[in-house]
Amino acid sequence: MSLLKPFSKLPGLNTANILLVESEEQFQQSLADGLVEETAVTVNVRLAKSLPLPKENEESRPRIDLVVFIINLTSELSFQSAEASLKYLDPGYFLGKVCFMVTNARNASVPTERLDAVRKLAAALHCPLLFAEDQTPDGVTNATKRLLSILKVSAGLVPMATALYLSSLTSCTVPPDIDQPSFD
Amino acid sequence: MAAQLNLSGPPNSDLSSLTDQSVSSRTSNRSLRVAEKERRKNEAEDPSVLALKYFSDVEAGTPVIGNDDVERNLVLVEKVAYRNGLSPEAISIMLEFAMSLRMGHSLCPRVLKCLIPVTVVPQEAVVRAVAWLGVDKIPVSTQVLFIKWVLTVFDMIDAKDQLRAIYGFIFSFVSEENLCPFICHLLYLLTTKQIVRVFRVRKLLELQSKLGRQPFLLNLLSLYKVFCPELVTLSIPSRSKSVFKNHNMPWKSALIAVQKRNGSQVASSISLASASKDRTNRRKRKHHHLELPVLSSVVNKEPQTETSRRLVPLVQIQSVAELLENMDHIELPAQMGSLLGSSLALQYLDCVQDESALLRLNFWLGYALHEELLFCGDGGASQNSEESLQFLDKLLSTQHFLQEGFSSSEAFLYKFLNVWDGSLLRPQILGLLSNIPVVPSSQIGRLLFEPLMQLFFTSSVFFKCGLIECLNNMLLKWLTWHSVYALEDDLDISLNSHTSINMTLSGFKDSVMELVDFVGRLASIGLQLEGCHCLLLSCILDFYTMVCDMFLKYGLPLVVMPPSGVFYPALFATDPVSVDRLAFIMYRYKVNLTSAKSQEKLTEQAFHISRQTFREFNYYTVYMVNCLWNSKMFQPGTGVQLGEELLLKSNVPQYWTSFDLVHHPAFMSYAVDFHQKCWIGKKDIDLDSIKHQKPWSWYLQYLFSQGYDGLKLFVQSNIKAGQGDGQQGDGQGDRQQGDSLPT
Repeated sequence: MSLLKPFSKLPGLNTANILLVESEEQFQQSLADGLVEETAVTVNVRLAKSLPLPKENEESRPRIDLVVFIINLTSELSFQSAEASLKYLDPGYFLGKVCFMVTNARNASVPTERLDAVRKLAAALHCPLLFAEDQTPDGVTNATKRLLSILKVSAGLVPMATALYLSSLTSCTVPPDIDQPSFD
Repeated sequence: MAAQLNLSGPPNSDLSSLTDQSVSSRTSNRSLRVAEKERRKNEAEDPSVLALKYFSDVEAGTPVIGNDDVERNLVLVEKVAYRNGLSPEAISIMLEFAMSLRMGHSLCPRVLKCLIPVTVVPQEAVVRAVAWLGVDKIPVSTQVLFIKWVLTVFDMIDAKDQLRAIYGFIFSFVSEENLCPFICHLLYLLTTKQIVRVFRVRKLLELQSKLGRQPFLLNLLSLYKVFCPELVTLSIPSRSKSVFKNHNMPWKSALIAVQKRNGSQVASSISLASASKDRTNRRKRKHHHLELPVLSSVVNKEPQTETSRRLVPLVQIQSVAELLENMDHIELPAQMGSLLGSSLALQYLDCVQDESALLRLNFWLGYALHEELLFCGDGGASQNSEESLQFLDKLLSTQHFLQEGFSSSEAFLYKFLNVWDGSLLRPQILGLLSNIPVVPSSQIGRLLFEPLMQLFFTSSVFFKCGLIECLNNMLLKWLTWHSVYALEDDLDISLNSHTSINMTLSGFKDSVMELVDFVGRLASIGLQLEGCHCLLLSCILDFYTMVCDMFLKYGLPLVVMPPSGVFYPALFATDPVSVDRLAFIMYRYKVNLTSAKSQEKLTEQAFHISRQTFREFNYYTVYMVNCLWNSKMFQPGTGVQLGEELLLKSNVPQYWTSFDLVHHPAFMSYAVDFHQKCWIGKKDIDLDSIKHQKPWSWYLQYLFSQGYDGLKLFVQSNIKAGQGDGQQGDGQGDRQQGDSLPT
């Protein structure tokens, strides 16, 4: 079992590396296509089905600045796979270099418990939880932009901001009891 | 067949009804059916017609098992149903066949599932089917399925008067535990004021004591309470916590699919029936599930004159004058959603005191928003965003017209923000968000700030600008409400004419304070993350332009200074407009604080602006004057402090002048321009020469003439006349005006 470590390698000049983890391998490709179009910095996108990453490429693999777990809410497997992958990350990653991206959250067939479970997981790990509309081109573009803005911070490309700083502002909070907004 | 359907109606033969321009829905339906019949003549020997004939004629007690005829015919009907939907006649026949259990109950659910109407559902058929419920042979699960079907197609039932007539009969089913939630929902949709009776309330209360505080019972009771508050003494939360659950999933998608597929085909027959109104509009409304329903009356009789309680359907009212005349006896339309489309109806809604109209509208709206936007069947893949966009635009313009938000759209937003990606329908969502009424300060963080904060910091700078603008509008609406609804005694304000949430002044102040603080936090960190983006800065300064005038413009005794994360970026901005706007904001703060102070002395009222606010204001003003005027940037004891040796190390000559009106990066180009105009032909530019007494006042005149009114007001109010030369470099900053309060 090899842990992925955030600081074991040197960063490249003006470069940001992102790792997209998705067990279904559907959304990550379109996200990656959008991400590499960024011109201001060099963005390297690595795709993985799950963690741990294979040993053979370990030498050539760049330092990963942001790990994104993509969870399709309509599939329990997707959630379980992400949960299982988490333990192959060095604890250092949880200081702002991990985020969750959820798709299909508005689908009627999604049990609310699963969304709550994802929220609880993200809140427990102090990670941001992003929602994405993967079905429309606009939604994909927007998701790409949001990932980029987080990536730039966690790769240290934004002056005066660090990954930990940003994650303290955006980390998911314990699910509020949204069904019962009481005003009494 | 047609004769069978019109048991209670007049004979169907007179074709004159086709030309009848009456808008009553009965006539429309009749002519619809006539058109339907015509069409059927053309396709004379359609196999599905034969199949329907089989079901209408089949004898009771015919065996199902081994009966190929049934299977074949049912498959035919199902095929038609899922492809094109069933005509009103077909619905009647199949419903009658299923509910009468002529061939036992095994086929019943299957038939019910394929009852997808193409246009309308005849009321008679539903009434007959409900009557079959009473026979007590149908299994409970099928009964539930039937009621669910009625709920799904409720809006498509052509009239509701007969259903309302058997309200008592339907009510009798509430005592059946399995049916109760669905029956309650159906009753909710059918209830009118006349129907609410003591014995029904008693029955419901009795049920509640047996089943506990079930949401469906509470909802129905809350409606009863709205109609007859004297009958329901139970205390019910002011806002019902959850609407009825949606039971229509099995039919919903099929219905939408059929409606979409049939688009053009049905459009022709509808426009035939409704020649009186603008066609394009109506046609659209019929086929999109998110479109507003057509305004049509509940009771489709001609207005009765014999009874004293004459009701005029809203649809017949054409002008404001008529509306005023009939104000007291207006009958609300069958579908409250149709109100959104008519400005007259909105006017009525706005002035009527009857809360039931708003309650019904809210119920419909909450349902529609939840169903179509929040949790759609397939997660948005096939969702027609054009449709949602138009719907939300309509809703926005309605809210704009009424100048208040609906509580159901508010509840929807709180849920939607938690799953929003920040781009889907952004302008509409932000528009709705800016309409929400004042949120109590204890809730505001959880409901609004937490989801918004996550979205704000992970989204693009344009989202950030949009959100700040939206919060700006929200604050504007809150403050306007406050200034309109604040009561005389200055203690209680009623924030919303309809929902009458009462809030104490201090509660309101707390909410506003929370909102302003929140924007301050967003603004400081947002500017930092975006490198003081100038568009973002402009949006933020917009917000503070409103905040600085809360006391004088909106009469709210509250002054909140901007955080330093906003003040310094604006002061050191590279564009002169931002500096000018900051100067204007500081000037308005001064006017507000001075007037608050004098008023406090005058009336000796209890309201109190904290010394901290004065201290912050003085501090900012002094710093600004020192920086822009006196060329004394790094004074000890001010916010921006750097070690002397560090500054020397930077090798910036005369670093203390770097941000005065001459050397400030925002104004440097003006200084150079001025210099060239003032000393024509002088080759080497010496900006310091502007600081001599004469050129300095000329330079100021020159700057003010460029339109920097904010700067002008700031200078005029803070710097004493006659000391207008910056070259001496010692304190002309007026420090006494707003100085800290004596304790």
